[in-house]
Amino acid sequence: MFNRTIVWFLGAGLLAGAVFAAEPKGLLPGENPNPVHLIRPRVQPLSAMAKLGKDLFFDTSLSSSGKVACASCHSPDHAYGPPNDGPVMLGGPHLTSEGARAVPSLTYLEQQPEFSIGPDDPLNENVNMAQQATIGKTAARAEKLATQTAQTANIVPQGGLFWDGRANTLQGQASGPLLDPHEMDGGSMEIVAEKLRKAYPEKFTGLFGPHILRDSKLLVAEAMFAIGRYQVEELSFHPFTSKYDYWLEGKARLSEAEMRGLRLFNDPDKANCAGCHTAQPSKDGYPPHFTDFQYEALGVPRNVAIDYNKDPNYFDLGVCGPIRKDLAAQTQFCGMFKTPTLRNTAVRHAFFHNGVFHSLQQVMDFYDFRDTNPDKVYPVGADGKVEKYNDIPAKYQANVDVADPPFNRHPGETPAMTAQDEADIIAFLQTLTDGYKPEQQSQPGTN
Amino acid sequence: MRNRKLKTILLSTAALFAVAAVAISTGPVIAGKAAAPVAGSADTLATKYPIKHLVIVFNENRSFDHYFGTYPNALNVDGEPAFKAAKNTQTDINNLLSNPALLDQNPNLNSANGSVAANPFRLDRTQANTADQNHNYTSEQKAYDGGKNDLFPLDTGSGTSGGAGAFGTKAQVMGYFDGNTVTAIWNYAQNYAMSDNAWTDDFGPSTPGAVDMFAGTTNGAKVPAGFTASTVADGQGGLTLTNDTDPAGDVCSSKTAQVQMTSKNIGDLLNAANIPWGSFVGGFNLKTINPNGSTGCSRSTVGQVVGTEGDYVPHHIWFQYYASTANPTHARPTSTKAIGYTTVPGTKKVDPANHGYDLDDFFTAVGSGNFPAVSFIKMQSYQDAHPGNSDPLDEQTGLVNLVNFLQQQPDWDSTAIIVDYDDSDGWYDHASAPITQPSFSSQDALNGAGLCGAVGATEPAGVNGLPVAGRCGPGTRTPFLVISPYAKKNYVSHVLISQASIPQFIEDNWLNGQRIGGGSFDATTGSIADMFNFNKKNSVALILDPSTGTVDDKTKNKN
Repeated sequence: MFNRTIVWFLGAGLLAGAVFAAEPKGLLPGENPNPVHLIRPRVQPLSAMAKLGKDLFFDTSLSSSGKVACASCHSPDHAYGPPNDGPVMLGGPHLTSEGARAVPSLTYLEQQPEFSIGPDDPLNENVNMAQQATIGKTAARAEKLATQTAQTANIVPQGGLFWDGRANTLQGQASGPLLDPHEMDGGSMEIVAEKLRKAYPEKFTGLFGPHILRDSKLLVAEAMFAIGRYQVEELSFHPFTSKYDYWLEGKARLSEAEMRGLRLFNDPDKANCAGCHTAQPSKDGYPPHFTDFQYEALGVPRNVAIDYNKDPNYFDLGVCGPIRKDLAAQTQFCGMFKTPTLRNTAVRHAFFHNGVFHSLQQVMDFYDFRDTNPDKVYPVGADGKVEKYNDIPAKYQANVDVADPPFNRHPGETPAMTAQDEADIIAFLQTLTDGYKPEQQSQPGTN
Repeated sequence: MRNRKLKTILLSTAALFAVAAVAISTGPVIAGKAAAPVAGSADTLATKYPIKHLVIVFNENRSFDHYFGTYPNALNVDGEPAFKAAKNTQTDINNLLSNPALLDQNPNLNSANGSVAANPFRLDRTQANTADQNHNYTSEQKAYDGGKNDLFPLDTGSGTSGGAGAFGTKAQVMGYFDGNTVTAIWNYAQNYAMSDNAWTDDFGPSTPGAVDMFAGTTNGAKVPAGFTASTVADGQGGLTLTNDTDPAGDVCSSKTAQVQMTSKNIGDLLNAANIPWGSFVGGFNLKTINPNGSTGCSRSTVGQVVGTEGDYVPHHIWFQYYASTANPTHARPTSTKAIGYTTVPGTKKVDPANHGYDLDDFFTAVGSGNFPAVSFIKMQSYQDAHPGNSDPLDEQTGLVNLVNFLQQQPDWDSTAIIVDYDDSDGWYDHASAPITQPSFSSQDALNGAGLCGAVGATEPAGVNGLPVAGRCGPGTRTPFLVISPYAKKNYVSHVLISQASIPQFIEDNWLNGQRIGGGSFDATTGSIADMFNFNKKNSVALILDPSTGTVDDKTKNKN
């Protein structure tokens, strides 16, 4: 297994222009034998637009409670994810209303492609979403393996923002929580516009001219764009300063556990994480985003702890609804949610779209045991049967991925990972947290 | 700092030479070394004007008001490249600023636009990456609404998104940039000449614009067996191309939709007269491997603003539509010396490239002293200005690097650069030209269903000399600049011109005014000569910063 990893990184090194002998000499334990140069976003002062966006991102006055800003749920201290331990955040006029889904991190969205239904063809300017979706109903599906250099062209949804991809731009995304009665509960565009007019008149006229204050729709659209622009320009939304980034560059060494975890992460027979959570820098040196931007139905257990699920007939099916409205007829996508980045995943306390898991250990157990020991993952019904895929109606359960390892196993078979494997992968996932200081750790830990 | 930036530009040009030199596998390579002009070279040809080298940069999808709506006034937001107009800038420019009611009480506020009715508004530099608008033949006619220009949000305002950081509103079609974003283009306008009366020959998108610029007609379309194409019956048993379709036979074209054009084009005329010319297209050399490893038809580049985009877009490439000028396999020239020529110099052997080359070849050939008389340029798509895959800032970088390069060539003294656009993208523009080329096909809608132009008017002649449908125009107004030592300084021309004015100028300068014929608009459109003063030469280079578009201090002092 070790050799396979070495070969893989040799490839990356070659493409970066560095050629090394097959057996590098003088290599310290945990060192990347073939460091690459990573291209990071340029450091530039915030534009006037981004400065306005920053003000708005932290402005609680736009919410009905006067207490919720974007930053309340997308906390800068928690990789712009939720600061709480619960599955969802609370909002609404009295901060008692539960959101429908776990709050996604706002980091690493700057390269998110727009929503489309694959295969991705940048040269085709006339993609017809409905036609592609229809092809997808019948097309054979290729397995996703961590060792593939290019993804086979599966006809699947990809790109977009939110768990279901219903917004294409950060601007479009920003107005969702602002007006959602369970979140900021901003009321209406007109109410928001009136608040903006009073709070920021000079800033808006300085950027857009005096006409802006007379056009409520444009005023709010510009405000939402400014928030998105802040996310694009502010480096802390995509710093690429994890230990793994520095390891890729040869500036940090992984511990033995982290190194084992990385191999398992990339191993198509074991965890196969990299099959969807891309770990490889691009050929021209852009750091990996740890997502292929695509959608998967994994069949995570229903989370009975959230209010929405008290209705036994309510099912959150992601791409096909009910929050997203336009693809309800494309039932082959029911149960699919976006593959999130794994960068900074170790600082989260709510995993998957419904926040059903609260630790990486639970997440790894789900991947490991879903098919070999489903009783460890799902509740057992009154009839003694395990209620597998209990958050997806029976008619859509065929959409769940049973092809990509480790989900290709059957009850009674050996799980893909041992307890040690899981611990090692979790150790590796910790290296994806931003803010690592390479100079502070010249010696790697052992475990 | 300024000087260092200039040096970087020169260095990056040198790097381009190196890449191109590697890509040309056969024949002697003389990159980097100034060679003596070969016999029959562009410098020795007789011309009507003192222009020995014409370079046409054919960019994408911007309307005149979208780039020059408030020219020469920029808002000058803190931190953005500032723009200050020269005092003698004309005040009779036909834009929004000179018709201020259009900014406040725009006809597009009318209720027919529904909830997306809007006034024009400024797009900030941070909003350079916009959505693409609807720019079909029929939709543009509907937006122009019989010359009232009041249905843009309704008919061309439905855009596709341009990525996570893009700006988009339903009324975005009414947006305009100013000199804080399109800084270089405004600076070129301040120092050279532009038109406020330049039009696409026909309504509609890129492909009709590209073939009008090259041949002056969209009539004479032929659909290969087994393919579909965006054409309309011309009423004489033939077809007119009205919307985008890939060129027939190009190895990079769509496998289902292709079209061939059967008219003559300006390349045919230049070939007959043995005048060296070439088309230089970003992404055309299928053998080049980009830094990200991409190659062949799917080469791609990461833009500063738009992200990764495919370099080569077949439906933008004029010469590929004609059997006589196509290079369907993207064959490479036998040598740098052969660039511009039908036959390998000194031999009777036909050069396989057939005047179709990569953009890298342009820098290599010109840098080596082989500067064709006529060069048509298409940037790789991230720099071609087309919303969705490009943006004004990436466009600016590509354009400024090219213009800076040309201004530093020994032949700059006899060079003219035209910057034109293949269509307006559907962006709002307040002006409309009287329809002189009516069309009454099922796809026409300017004056009602099936109508573009006054009832009873005669449609323009097609390739067979009889009136044909599907060529309604002038269409939409676009920017049009002339950058040359002979361009009038800080001049805005009001003479009505169109894309077909480009072949007309070539014919006037090199071909004694010979015309393409077959109903080409080169015979009827206006002349760009008003933008030149051939008796007065300004040889001082205007070197701009490719990322900000601002004037390099070194040349500013000289000016």
